[in-house]
Amino acid sequence: MTSWVRLTLPTAVIASIASPSHAVQYLTIDAAKKLAFPSANRFIENGGPTWKAQAGDKLLGLFVVDHVIGKHLYIDYAVALDPGGRVLRVDILQYRESYGGEVREPSWLAQFVGKTSSSPLKVGSDIRNISGATLSSLHITEGVKRILASYGSRAR
Amino acid sequence: MEAARVSLRRARPLLGTFVEIAVTGPAIPAMEDAVEAAFAAVATVHGLMSFHETDSDVSRLNRDAASRPVRVHDWTCEVLEVACDLNRRSAGVFDVAVAPALQRLGLLPSVPALASLSSAPFQQFSGAIELLPDNEVRFAHTEVKIDLGGIAKGFAVDRAVDALRCHGVAEGLVNAGGDLRAFGPRRHDIDVRDPRQPEQPICRVALRNGALASSAGRFDLVRSDQVLSCAVVDPATAMPVRAIRGATVRAPSCIVADALTKVVMNAGEAAAPILEHFGADALFLSAGGEFHMTANWKNEVRLAA
Repeated sequence: MTSWVRLTLPTAVIASIASPSHAVQYLTIDAAKKLAFPSANRFIENGGPTWKAQAGDKLLGLFVVDHVIGKHLYIDYAVALDPGGRVLRVDILQYRESYGGEVREPSWLAQFVGKTSSSPLKVGSDIRNISGATLSSLHITEGVKRILASYGSRAR
Repeated sequence: MEAARVSLRRARPLLGTFVEIAVTGPAIPAMEDAVEAAFAAVATVHGLMSFHETDSDVSRLNRDAASRPVRVHDWTCEVLEVACDLNRRSAGVFDVAVAPALQRLGLLPSVPALASLSSAPFQQFSGAIELLPDNEVRFAHTEVKIDLGGIAKGFAVDRAVDALRCHGVAEGLVNAGGDLRAFGPRRHDIDVRDPRQPEQPICRVALRNGALASSAGRFDLVRSDQVLSCAVVDPATAMPVRAIRGATVRAPSCIVADALTKVVMNAGEAAAPILEHFGADALFLSAGGEFHMTANWKNEVRLAA
């Protein structure tokens, strides 16, 4: 029969866990472009963080990079639109969650600069797996809507 | 010489949260395809079981299943079978028919067709979902409205793991906003957020070839670090659970882990028999700050300092 153990926090300290900050780089912009448009052979700058994906002269779609930033969260994400202005995919590029507000500082962003798609990804070292209260992704949904409003018609 | 092993980690916004897939294996192109198929499985579950999307199976059931049998996808059928089984085994503590209560609390949007419900007295709907042959489903009363938010995320994780395995991936982890499953030989350490301060871990749990799911409030770190009201309601009172701040369950599959967190949130230590039936372990934090965990789990859970 299942029995229970009870402990009163925080006196029952068993081990310490490292700093609460959590950062992952999932994809570079270049790697995300290629995944979104595998048959593209050129990406033409289109003003702002947007690129036209082309195979020769044929337009495959538009690739847009955006971010959301809050006191405790920074997320860089990419949206791929087809020539009809429909969302093909949304990928998270970088994720940083931190307590204390330092996500607004540029210094941590520098750690990602210059990483290429071939940079090895360390799994299980600085990257943590987390369970618990559910983090909303509503801000990304709102961001994608803004991108569709701004660029949906320009993808054509 | 052993072939070089590479790891991929990808994340997308799905199911209202961030879904992360990490895999390890010998070849990048094949693994990208596997990850793509796994995200596609999650997106399919999202499309079938969203309360918000008007053409989802859940919305079609809520609109029509009280007046006539509604045919649903195999996966929706499978989730409803598990939900009905859990409803019986938990004596109604797990109930997917709590949508009207969630709407009244503002945790689900009021759909115009369902607006008249907001003043109806709440009642338990145990046994009100009939599963008929050929994937058809019928509801016993017009008042029955379901929300699969307490079980679909776990199911989506299981489908993603199946997709990865079908593509030959031997080792990986799928995490849908904290409902996660690991497969393969490696041990994964999972940090569990403190339900009172989500940016801080309360404990670290070791996981190998199994699923882990948690229930607590929702939060949005862009706006604030505060956890919002708990989205788990007590079917008996139709009010949010207050005695328990957060619960985490380890089980062989993620659908079971996800659903059992709601049973533990409502029943606390009384959930022991159902946990045992499913070979699951649990931990939870009471509103008074007492940390409870099943004795089996004692050696694999480390509390945060």
